[in-house]
Amino acid sequence: MQIDFMVVFSYWQVLAKGLALTLAFTVTCAILGSLGGFFLSLLRLSKNRFVSVPTGLYVELFRGTPLLIQLFWIFFCLPVVFGISVPPFVSVALALTLYMTAITSETFRGALKSIPSEQHDACVALGVARWNKVLYVIFPQALLRAVPPLLSNVVSLFKESALISSVGIADLMFVGQNISNSTARPVEFLTAVAVIYFLVAFPLTRLVGVVESRMLRRYAY
Amino acid sequence: MNYQFDFHFLTGNWGLLWDGLKVTLELALISNVVGVVLGFGLCLLTLSRWFFIRWPAQLFIEFFRCTPALLQIVWFFYCVPMLFDVFIGPITMGVLALGLNLTAFNAEAYRAGVQAVPREHLDACVALGLRPWQRTLYVILPQALRTALPVLMTNGISILQQSALVAIVAVADLMYVGKSIATEAYRPLETYSLIALIYLALSLPIAQFVQWLERRQDSAMAR
Repeated sequence: MQIDFMVVFSYWQVLAKGLALTLAFTVTCAILGSLGGFFLSLLRLSKNRFVSVPTGLYVELFRGTPLLIQLFWIFFCLPVVFGISVPPFVSVALALTLYMTAITSETFRGALKSIPSEQHDACVALGVARWNKVLYVIFPQALLRAVPPLLSNVVSLFKESALISSVGIADLMFVGQNISNSTARPVEFLTAVAVIYFLVAFPLTRLVGVVESRMLRRYAY
Repeated sequence: MNYQFDFHFLTGNWGLLWDGLKVTLELALISNVVGVVLGFGLCLLTLSRWFFIRWPAQLFIEFFRCTPALLQIVWFFYCVPMLFDVFIGPITMGVLALGLNLTAFNAEAYRAGVQAVPREHLDACVALGLRPWQRTLYVILPQALRTALPVLMTNGISILQQSALVAIVAVADLMYVGKSIATEAYRPLETYSLIALIYLALSLPIAQFVQWLERRQDSAMAR
């Protein structure tokens, strides 16, 4: 069998389009999901059980089931349940956002919990009001600490977004598989797609390390 | 919402679902064995003194960590038979893809544990005249395993969930069976919900156990 990677280059425009769509989904869902995750983490720490239990359940549900199922559920079942037609782009973005919300809420919760209890005590000693404590003492530190794990969440979202190809969204994975099927050259195209994913994700994971060490040095916690 | 739930169509399909569940469990369990064993070996390779051992091992890890699992699975199913001119059964192939993926993630999990073994222990090994393999097996491995256990188990759960991806290359696991039942019976809502609950029921107890384990380790550290 002849392996010739030069073929890949003649399809670069299609692959670039696929990559653009993958990135668009990743960025949109990362932003929406991070915001959602932040609010969800606050709700989960609530003292009211009617708030904290359902949000905990939501997180467990989305972390305990494969993303593929979530995707299929939202794609096939949401229209059935509500009797409306949802455009594929919307349902896929919704699935990724809900997934991202669940995993980032855990990240934020970890960051909020990592604030040492001495700081809470200090706030009491200094007579800082409850909301001032949350706004000026807890949040700034927690948000900073959440940045590196949040970035790795984005990387995993980027990788997981390949699943949307299975419901027919023309992202990088879909395009790669399509070309490899139609040209009967899976080795070249699937490898090329893998390299593209790697080239995007690898620098991001390095960035996580850089951000982490820089913050460690600067804030020395 | 005025949807009538109807689970009757499932009555004839329990056997199918059970078979699918068995395939899923088989994939997840064997991949975990592969990942836990090879992960430790790979971790040792990345900590090697020689650049030519360290570097390929690191590249292997990064490649598996930075590309989608779906792509890895598709790649193995399409490209391995072509490149090496071999035919491998679908379940073995699934185990191969998932197991190597897990190996990369577990190697990273072990690393912290191996590096946390105090310098004095290694000196003690020299003093006691232990051979390198004895040191690795009896001194480093138990300690690394203990530290890494929560992460290893979390990775194990995630491989159980990633194993659903083999449905896309038509391995008859739980997800695949569910998908075909859903299409046949025109009942996506019931089937997918049921499948989701099965996956949840499998991973939730392990996740709870990991949380308990972590709490225990934290309190052991605090003492």
